[in-house]
Amino acid sequence: MRRGWALVLLGLGLLALERPAVTPAVLHLPPDPRTLAGPRAVPIPPDNPQTPAKVELGRRLFYDPRLSKDGRVACASCHRPEFAFSDGGNPVSTGVFGRKGSRNAPTLTNVAFRQRLFWEGRSPRLELQAVGPLTAHHEMGMEPEELAARLSAIPEYARAFQEVFGEPPSLRTVAFAIAAFERTLLSFNSPFDRYQAGDDQALSEAALRGMELFFSERGDCFHCHVGPDFTDDEPRNNGLYTVYKDIGLAQATGRDEDVGKFKTPTLRNVALTAPYMHDGSKKTLREVVEHYNRGGEPNLNADPLIRPLGLSEAEIDDLVAFLESLTDTSFTTNPALLPP
Amino acid sequence: MRPLVWLGAVLLAGGLAAPVELRLSLRVGDQAFAWGRTYQTPQGQRYRIDLLKFYLSDLALVRPDGREVRVEGLVLAEFKPSAPTQGVPLMRFEAPPGEYRGLRFDVGVPRELNHQDAATQAWPLGINSGMYWAWNPGYIFYRLEGTAFLPEGSRKWVIHMGTDAFRLPVRLHDLQMRRVRLEIPPRGAVLVLNLDLGRAFWPGPGGVFLDWREPALRQLHGLSPQTRPWMSVVYHNMLDAFSLGE
Repeated sequence: MRRGWALVLLGLGLLALERPAVTPAVLHLPPDPRTLAGPRAVPIPPDNPQTPAKVELGRRLFYDPRLSKDGRVACASCHRPEFAFSDGGNPVSTGVFGRKGSRNAPTLTNVAFRQRLFWEGRSPRLELQAVGPLTAHHEMGMEPEELAARLSAIPEYARAFQEVFGEPPSLRTVAFAIAAFERTLLSFNSPFDRYQAGDDQALSEAALRGMELFFSERGDCFHCHVGPDFTDDEPRNNGLYTVYKDIGLAQATGRDEDVGKFKTPTLRNVALTAPYMHDGSKKTLREVVEHYNRGGEPNLNADPLIRPLGLSEAEIDDLVAFLESLTDTSFTTNPALLPP
Repeated sequence: MRPLVWLGAVLLAGGLAAPVELRLSLRVGDQAFAWGRTYQTPQGQRYRIDLLKFYLSDLALVRPDGREVRVEGLVLAEFKPSAPTQGVPLMRFEAPPGEYRGLRFDVGVPRELNHQDAATQAWPLGINSGMYWAWNPGYIFYRLEGTAFLPEGSRKWVIHMGTDAFRLPVRLHDLQMRRVRLEIPPRGAVLVLNLDLGRAFWPGPGGVFLDWREPALRQLHGLSPQTRPWMSVVYHNMLDAFSLGE
């Protein structure tokens, strides 16, 4: 019975998230028989229509380190497919000339559906977000003129940009092509998805118990990790610290009440995206669940939902088992998403 | 009859407008700025400047009675190594001939433009400007980059001033003491602005200064909490970095 309620709540979450900020259109992708849930309608901005050629160009750019100042850092350097497009165990990423960032590279799983990007949600769309890593001093460190000149000198790129955009490479068109590729990073074939589709054997007993907890008021994960991607896209303070070195959303708003607020991350493929939190300070999923079970650290801005949960060790194990059931290996091995 | 009145008004208005060109000269202290030259902060740290870009907007000439002649538009000033640094044209506009007590402008992007979708904005705004700030709201307003020569070696530094809180109001007018006087004759005029690039590095209250030995202070970004006090010092220094030239 409780499982039934959980599914109802999940369904409500699905409905609640169906409010794309831009005109929705179905992504032009070949049907993937492995994606049991089928492609959802991906929001496509009217000024960047999706075409196969643009997606392919975006894929080449995504994996090309020539887009960086020292020619050694690609988007894929920090968003690696085998780790669900996160940075494979690194708390923070390494950019050009060995420069270190300050935040954990998030997964790009189903990033097409995110309505806010970056850890505190300061970017409203993929086309604008992509400019950040391309130009940031400690990431790829490129100037618009230098990027345009470098790509224009590569005949294949010069030709491809002309075909796709009708203009030469520029920071803008690079960002638009990468955004188009990122909208194809779709993952809906985890054991959880298969269970949802009717496969009663898809989840282990532990994962089933964990799912009950996840969607219950006791475990209380689902209020923030809601909907098909297990995120409400809202910035929240999860009580990670009492004093934050990185103040999160407050950097943008300047408001005290926003100190320590970071966006709720998706949990799809979360078992592949360690370490966790905005700074990669939690090494394992168990550490994360233990943090929430303790009720976090004292903080005036902590979300009201953060409180001691009273879960047993066995229940923590069950929650971890459920989180592991959100792993979609067909996503990390999909040839269409791997280096060309 | 009415068209003749209209035509007369247009001709009169045209006759009253004089062409004005605003130019910029870069300086460090009382010297003309030169690419590749090593300068020194008041604290004795040696540096070189490698890049300067900034937005100038909301320009207005100030009449002796305090009224303003506002100039529409926004320009992006760009200075890179080997480019001219003295008397560089920034913008051209028309203004009624006469006497003025100075001018004012902002370094930055007006708020109503600063928060639109940069992917849809035209030059000098937009993604290709190199001033779009993907992780902070809006654009970088003032972008100064260079190299510090430290005992441990040379280190890059950047100052990226932006967000609405750091839009810089530059006020180069004086109605009371009448120290500033701009004459725009009917044939037109050239107005020269000086920008002292070294001014950014002056110490602030309590002797706070941009000590490039501290790695965190080599990356000044808008609202970054780690560096906001130093950005505030730079901001207040920059209020006095512009002057009217000859």
